Amino acid sequence: MLRHRLLSLFSWTYLIAMFGFILLPVAVLVLFSFQDGTLPIPPFNGFTLKWYAEVFADQKLMAALQNSLSVAFGSSLLACLLGFFAAYGLSRYRLPASALQRVLLMAPMTVSYLIIALGLLVVFNWSGIRLSLWTVGIGHVVINLPLCFAIIYASMGDHQKNTERAARDLGANGFQVLYLITAPMLMPSILAAFFLSLTFSWDEFIISFLLSRFDVTLPVEIWSLLRSGLNPKTNAIGSLVFLLSMILLLVLETLVFRRRSKP
Amino acid sequence: MSAKAVRNLNVQYIATTLSVSCLVAMSGASTVLAQEELNALVWCDHTDTALLEPFETANNVKVNVKEYEGTGAALSIIDQSRPGDWDVLVIDGIDVPRAVEEGILGEIPADALPTADFFPEVVMADNNTLDGKTYAITEKYGYNTISFDKTKVDPEDMKDMANIWSDKYMGRIAIYDYYLPVIGLTALSAGIDTADITEENMPDIRERLLAMKSASKLVGDVVSSQTALATGEVDILVGGGEWVTAVLSAEKPDLDWVIPEQGGLRWSQSIGVMADSDKQELALAFVQYITSPEAQAKLATSSCYWGMPANKLAEEHLSAEQKMALRWDDQAQYLSNSQLYPAPDIDLDDLMQDVWTEMLQN
Amino acid sequence: MNADVSGNDDPRSAWFYVVPALLWTMAFFVVPFAFMAATSFASLVRRKITYTWDLGNYLEFFDKPYLLKGLFVSLEITLAVTFISVVLAYPLAWIIAERVPKRLQRAVLILAILPFWTSYVVRSYSWLLLFSSNGVINNALMGSGIISEPLQLASTTSATIIGFVHFFVMLLTLTIYSNLVQLSPNYKRAAMDLGANTFQTFWHVILPLTLPGIMVGAFLTFVLCIGDYITPQILGGNNELVLPQIIMLQLGRRADIPAAASMSIILMLVVTAVYLLCLRWLKMERT
Repeated sequence: MLRHRLLSLFSWTYLIAMFGFILLPVAVLVLFSFQDGTLPIPPFNGFTLKWYAEVFADQKLMAALQNSLSVAFGSSLLACLLGFFAAYGLSRYRLPASALQRVLLMAPMTVSYLIIALGLLVVFNWSGIRLSLWTVGIGHVVINLPLCFAIIYASMGDHQKNTERAARDLGANGFQVLYLITAPMLMPSILAAFFLSLTFSWDEFIISFLLSRFDVTLPVEIWSLLRSGLNPKTNAIGSLVFLLSMILLLVLETLVFRRRSKP
Repeated sequence: MSAKAVRNLNVQYIATTLSVSCLVAMSGASTVLAQEELNALVWCDHTDTALLEPFETANNVKVNVKEYEGTGAALSIIDQSRPGDWDVLVIDGIDVPRAVEEGILGEIPADALPTADFFPEVVMADNNTLDGKTYAITEKYGYNTISFDKTKVDPEDMKDMANIWSDKYMGRIAIYDYYLPVIGLTALSAGIDTADITEENMPDIRERLLAMKSASKLVGDVVSSQTALATGEVDILVGGGEWVTAVLSAEKPDLDWVIPEQGGLRWSQSIGVMADSDKQELALAFVQYITSPEAQAKLATSSCYWGMPANKLAEEHLSAEQKMALRWDDQAQYLSNSQLYPAPDIDLDDLMQDVWTEMLQN
Repeated sequence: MNADVSGNDDPRSAWFYVVPALLWTMAFFVVPFAFMAATSFASLVRRKITYTWDLGNYLEFFDKPYLLKGLFVSLEITLAVTFISVVLAYPLAWIIAERVPKRLQRAVLILAILPFWTSYVVRSYSWLLLFSSNGVINNALMGSGIISEPLQLASTTSATIIGFVHFFVMLLTLTIYSNLVQLSPNYKRAAMDLGANTFQTFWHVILPLTLPGIMVGAFLTFVLCIGDYITPQILGGNNELVLPQIIMLQLGRRADIPAAASMSIILMLVVTAVYLLCLRWLKMERT
């Protein structure tokens, strides 16, 4: 009994200590975004919202925010589309070398982002394609496609197959089956893949840094903001990104997972 | 079944909303394409909206800026681009002849430039003109010397650079992470003029650099060296100057900087028009704008780093505090006791970068 | 993978579904990779990439101690991070799975990975604020009288490691937790029935069963950690450079793509070697 108590005590202490470690940077980040003064370090001088006002007044940050949203939505959508089609083709048909195809589609997952970015940089350089948000988007589809493919492929089970067959027997063609039966049935995992891609693309730095030219995404803009000095504004933009991500998480939670857990 | 249908409907609704919002977001990104654009390759102090916006509005043009660190990187970016990709180049003053010889910068009409209003020492005709033709104009300058916290360090000690290597300040030093000025300062401490750095005396400089590294706590870019100095992590910044302390002057009045007896390094930036730009007139207008008193004041106090404006008339647009932080009134003395950056050729540049990487890694 | 030859759909149209994704991967992953590999044998002659087809970049990497050291620093940091993260995350995942009431588990788990949703760049930066001499950690330690002089935390390899561990503890807690809850409770019950205590059950039953999952998580940590540039750049104070920092120096300071490419290839070979080792080890475990 005593032993059990001790174990329990240890468990809770450990849990609390680890949560302290995990949440500390976020707490400090948010706290010092309200710092009244130009340095986001102790002592805390008082509460102000002026850094948030500065963030909203900063056109470059706002443009970067919009760029990030465009790239994240665009690249995630394309990655999901490509991943979904590939998953459908590979799970519903017997294709030659299908194992090899799966390995090929998953391969980018095992390679560092830096290497993917550098490879694309060499090719774009060689072919004279100018770097832009489009090239960043291409890079993001490359890293998210394996993810989308894996998630959607894993959820393609046999129970959908019967419904698909029934639809086909009733005269639906391939596209109609895909659009009216398969896609809606798999929507939870498609959405999960989409939102996960969105998160990855939204926060990705090195590909965006190396493959962009004038228009940059938010992490790159934050990076250059950082280079120009210590500033509570960086804390404010960090806290705002956090807030946005929480909203996205909440949407995901209520729309996808809540639904999936109910029969 | 009906619950399922509702769910599917919902899902379709979400999917439609998402795709519509994607389309909206993507079309937003491409609307700016119609406007005329000017592409400039610059140091990070030229990226403030406040600096670029008046020019953009006046000329109805979008100024695209790409920042780089170090002339080597800038020249490589240009080499790997296509002709016409860049219209304006901001480059270290000392590297202008290199850029001219390689046909990168084009001639600009000297009479269109306000050099008459400049500090005479920074016009630097030797660098900016070649065979009587003008290729660039100085726009901003400053010093890489020793910054320190005067409450923690004896200001008298800082006048002799040899003290950096003494045991007294062991572990209280930060080094600014840019190889040219710090290698230059190290050379000065060894009695070598920056113009006389060669492959022969680099081993000596390397030794001193490695010794300085072992006495230091970190080698940082602008933000980390600034943070270290402001938080008391270190008390001395080698390679610092007004560009790092001026921004902090209001909040950290104890931060000071000095040009030691051995001398300091003077950095200067020039701006010019790319030879193969197909927007020569617009590019020249941008150069004229940047060297105008108003833009000069903004450039001097940019958010990335501060520095003295080349144009004296910028004075009218600067506050007394700003001028104080820039040490406006001490310029005559500073100018006389500072040397220009080293101007290595490709091989020496390679060697310097190798030594620098080695220093970082040890 | 059963073939679906029923219905009126032509199986050949299957290619129609698969080809776009395959083409994309070929065009933007395989081809660039081949190009990069080729470029690693080129060199920068008067700042232009010239295909000289020699081993110059590789020889230089192994010839210059300060470049080679980057590889060792990378390995050292990555191994330390992987080990510490697993050791810290496993108990946390176990406590969440076993001790926290079922209905709270989801909420606790989300709380545990909350910082995952802050921007990665900003998160590293906030560690910088925490570590500085009069930052939160030093202030707290000095205020409570534990230390009298501020600790040197910022700009050290330890700072880099702590920053990394913070991120990967979140990731590993999630993976290990999902492994633990997937275990059938029957295993535990059987072990208990046979007279094993909690510790024995854990050591002889639970841990071996979750080991493959840990290995996958650890490998993921290894790959992500060894390729990262942001955390060491912000927290390490340029005191010991990791390989990605050296690669970025080649790109940022002299746009030397061939040298950067050769180092990337070396980085990838290291990751592949570790992958093969993991695979071999996992196979040996199973037999």
